[in-house]
Amino acid sequence: MTAPAIKISGLYKAYGDISALAGASLLVGAGEIFGLVGPNGAGKTTLIKAICGVLKPDRGAVTILGLDAGSERYAVRRRLGYMPQEPALYEDLSPRENLAFFGSGYRTAGLEKRIRDSLEFVGLWQRRDDPLHTFSGGMRQRASLACALLRDPQLLILDEPTAGVDPTLKQAFWEHFRELKQRGITIFLTTNMMDEALHCDRVAVIRSGRVLVTEAPDAIRSRGRARITIELAGGGLREADVSGYEEELPRLLLSYGLSDKVRRVSIHRPSLEDVVLSMIQKPDGGWWITQMRNKTRNPKPETRNRGAKAQ
Amino acid sequence: MIRNLNAIAVRINHQFLRDRRFMALSMAVPLLLMLLLKYVLSSLPQLARLGVHISDYAILAAAFLVHFLAYVLSTIVLVRDRKDGTLARMFVYGFRRREIVLGYVGGYSTIAAVQTAVVLILTKYLFDVNLLPDIVPVALTMLALAVVSVGLGVFISNFARNEGQVFPFIPLLIVPSALLSGVVIPIRNLPALLQWCSYVVPLRYAVSVLAAVLQEHQPFFSQLAPFLTLLAVGAALLAGASMTLKEQE
Repeated sequence: MTAPAIKISGLYKAYGDISALAGASLLVGAGEIFGLVGPNGAGKTTLIKAICGVLKPDRGAVTILGLDAGSERYAVRRRLGYMPQEPALYEDLSPRENLAFFGSGYRTAGLEKRIRDSLEFVGLWQRRDDPLHTFSGGMRQRASLACALLRDPQLLILDEPTAGVDPTLKQAFWEHFRELKQRGITIFLTTNMMDEALHCDRVAVIRSGRVLVTEAPDAIRSRGRARITIELAGGGLREADVSGYEEELPRLLLSYGLSDKVRRVSIHRPSLEDVVLSMIQKPDGGWWITQMRNKTRNPKPETRNRGAKAQ
Repeated sequence: MIRNLNAIAVRINHQFLRDRRFMALSMAVPLLLMLLLKYVLSSLPQLARLGVHISDYAILAAAFLVHFLAYVLSTIVLVRDRKDGTLARMFVYGFRRREIVLGYVGGYSTIAAVQTAVVLILTKYLFDVNLLPDIVPVALTMLALAVVSVGLGVFISNFARNEGQVFPFIPLLIVPSALLSGVVIPIRNLPALLQWCSYVVPLRYAVSVLAAVLQEHQPFFSQLAPFLTLLAVGAALLAGASMTLKEQE
């Protein structure tokens, strides 16, 4: 990994008795699309606020592009594009007026051109002078994304950018994100939709203010337990929940004799959503988090018999 | 700083101009309230027997109205921005606390100034108050009061997390303003403790200047002390608002 775009170490934040962040740590590489997934209230937005320097953590450190997000927040913000969860634009102003206003905060060179480029990028140039209250939810999200792109940021922070967006527009958003990645922009986004997480280079799963795991989506998925069902000639069924089924399957078949006794083998691989859900729903972070902590490399498959004539 | 402050003020005025209903109500409310005041005072002939001149009272009531409208108008602003996420976005996009506070005061003072003009015109024509000889000091005092009231509103809106929390602050400041400023009861008739309390009420200083200039026909420069105190209270409120505006949660 190249020099990190975001480095978060042991971040804590509490609102009264409620702990929003409880030791969250993250490392996001420059130029990657990084997804933070987790249920509502897991601490995603709080973490984003800490990155943008609008939240003062109780403990821990946030370094953005080599700068401290607290003491050097003004320098950090110059390099950021920020798209909050809600559109956070003025409804009675047009996209062009909104972008002109927010673009004036830091002196943005060639602001007029930047406004045009950003609005064209999200396909809103034709509607540039219409007030935002005449826009659909998806169009407001696009206007908000245009605002985030205004300053040609090095790091784009997107808080649930596709929430409430229809599938076609969602696809268009992801095309935008990939195009931005091609330009070398690091994208950090939060989502609670697993189909979105699949588009990311790496994903971190957060629950109760703690990051449980950071991996590529496929790596997370492959760690899920596949269910192997072996249908025997006599009508019995053998089911086994295994991790690393590619290795486990031959072993299982050998144990059943690899003969005409085995009539059919079916494998159900868990989706990314299944795996993430198993992590965030269990108090210890799911079976394989515990497994990783215990450094157990080859867990024994859990097998059980079903059917009258099972061997 | 001036550039960003101006950008905020211009943006607020653009928003006002787009919201025609708001603009119409902003003008209609002082008009209706002044008409109501005229009707109520005209229906009390016993006031004249008590030596109370309606025209004398009208300018004080007008000052109270300017204070009330400007304060109520601006209490909600930062709360709405905080709730909509635009305040956080402003911070991330490079606006500083003092620029936001002064920008809001600048933007809202425009509409407050228009309301002040409406109130002054109504005072002259509805209550037959001869404002013209003293129009400069009267307008200056009313305008200063409007700006200070906007500053008070912005300061108060810092302490509310949502619109609902703003409402208790409205009577909390407006009722003492009415009672302790000399609009309803002359300050000298108040108990000593309340007389001391009245020093923190901005409206008191405006009422003092207006009463001296219009009723006692004193020159404006003899009233520089209360006028400058009004400005100082405004400056203190703006400094307080800048310091209490939370950039980081």
